[in-house]
Amino acid sequence: MARLHRQPICVASALLVPLFQLVAPSWLVLDGVGPSWAMLWLLPWALVDGPVSGGIAGAALGLVLDGLSLGDSSQIPALVLMGWWWGRLGRRGQPIQRSLNIGLLAWIGTLVLGLSLWLQLLMLESADALLQAWALHTTLAQALITGLLAPMVGSWQLLLWRRRAPA
Amino acid sequence: MGLSQRPQGSRLRSFRRLWPWFILLVVLGLVRLSKGAGFADAFALLSRPFWPGSAQREWIETAVRQDATSRLQLLEQDNARLRGLLELDRLSSGDRVQAAVISRTPSGWWQQLELGKGSFNGIAKDDAVIGPGGLVGRVQSVTPATSRVRLLTAPGSRIGVWLPRTRQHGLLAGLGTARPQLQFLDKEVQVRPGDLVSTSPASTLLPPNLPVAVVQSINLRGVPAPTALVQLIAPPDAIDWVQVQVR
Repeated sequence: MARLHRQPICVASALLVPLFQLVAPSWLVLDGVGPSWAMLWLLPWALVDGPVSGGIAGAALGLVLDGLSLGDSSQIPALVLMGWWWGRLGRRGQPIQRSLNIGLLAWIGTLVLGLSLWLQLLMLESADALLQAWALHTTLAQALITGLLAPMVGSWQLLLWRRRAPA
Repeated sequence: MGLSQRPQGSRLRSFRRLWPWFILLVVLGLVRLSKGAGFADAFALLSRPFWPGSAQREWIETAVRQDATSRLQLLEQDNARLRGLLELDRLSSGDRVQAAVISRTPSGWWQQLELGKGSFNGIAKDDAVIGPGGLVGRVQSVTPATSRVRLLTAPGSRIGVWLPRTRQHGLLAGLGTARPQLQFLDKEVQVRPGDLVSTSPASTLLPPNLPVAVVQSINLRGVPAPTALVQLIAPPDAIDWVQVQVR
């Protein structure tokens, strides 16, 4: 079967990311912070479809999500970087796609996303200590909840997409 | 010297017969001194089943509410007239658009609300968004059918505020946390925890005299001027409907 980005249904599944971002289920939060839906979708996509497709998908998702959120900070750099890196890791085969590894990769990815946003916050906003404490809290909480959700959501997505686009 | 008609023994007997009445009189005297405490308490205990029920309480509360509402209307009319005399921009309460909150992220990286009404309903960028209890944020961007609100808690949110008790201006800056920071413009502040923070009475960008927050703690050693942390009156994470003050 064709690669993922040639299958319209797989590409269309990316629409779930802005949808979940807007729905923002209040019961799926850790200390008020929800998971990064973009990371949850991008991880299996990049693992299956490779670094170039992962990077482009990251950029596309980042553009949509930046449009949906306030402020000047952008998710694009972290999403592109992670899409490319995960795409390269996906070539190493099955061991990387075990549930615990998926969780760990999502945790690292969300941590990188949080740190990139924190860096942008430092450059664009004030360096107030309370603001920094909040940024650290948000980074850690989001990374943790995304890492916990990834083995459940990501493994299922991987299984589905692997069937449609075998390596 | 004549002899008594009654013997000594019979007088004693009559006193013995009467002593319970004397005790009763003493007790009643104590009741009098205590302003009828025992009687009032006993009456309260006995009459409890017949006390005014919830219906009566509601009537009185409704009357009090009506009184407060009519006073508020009169004050608003008076305020509008005075603002007209001062030639300040008039923001009448009739220019408010009710909008449903269709998406809400009160915490996390982007603290915003998405409203179900947009430029078709006259909403524009920088319009004030008011929740039950006070100001919630300002409209950041609009589409024809939706508008996005930056909450007062969001990093980067800054509005000018007023402390009515000390008659001082300040800047309310969002820090991402549930409690924004109030930055004073003067070195000398007499603010206390519990003080109300509102929009400025002379404000033309935001509706004047709108409650915003209550001061929680003060840092007098802040540089360059003291700062305070405030608790917002309108909780953004529990609001389903808001009013947008259109201009």
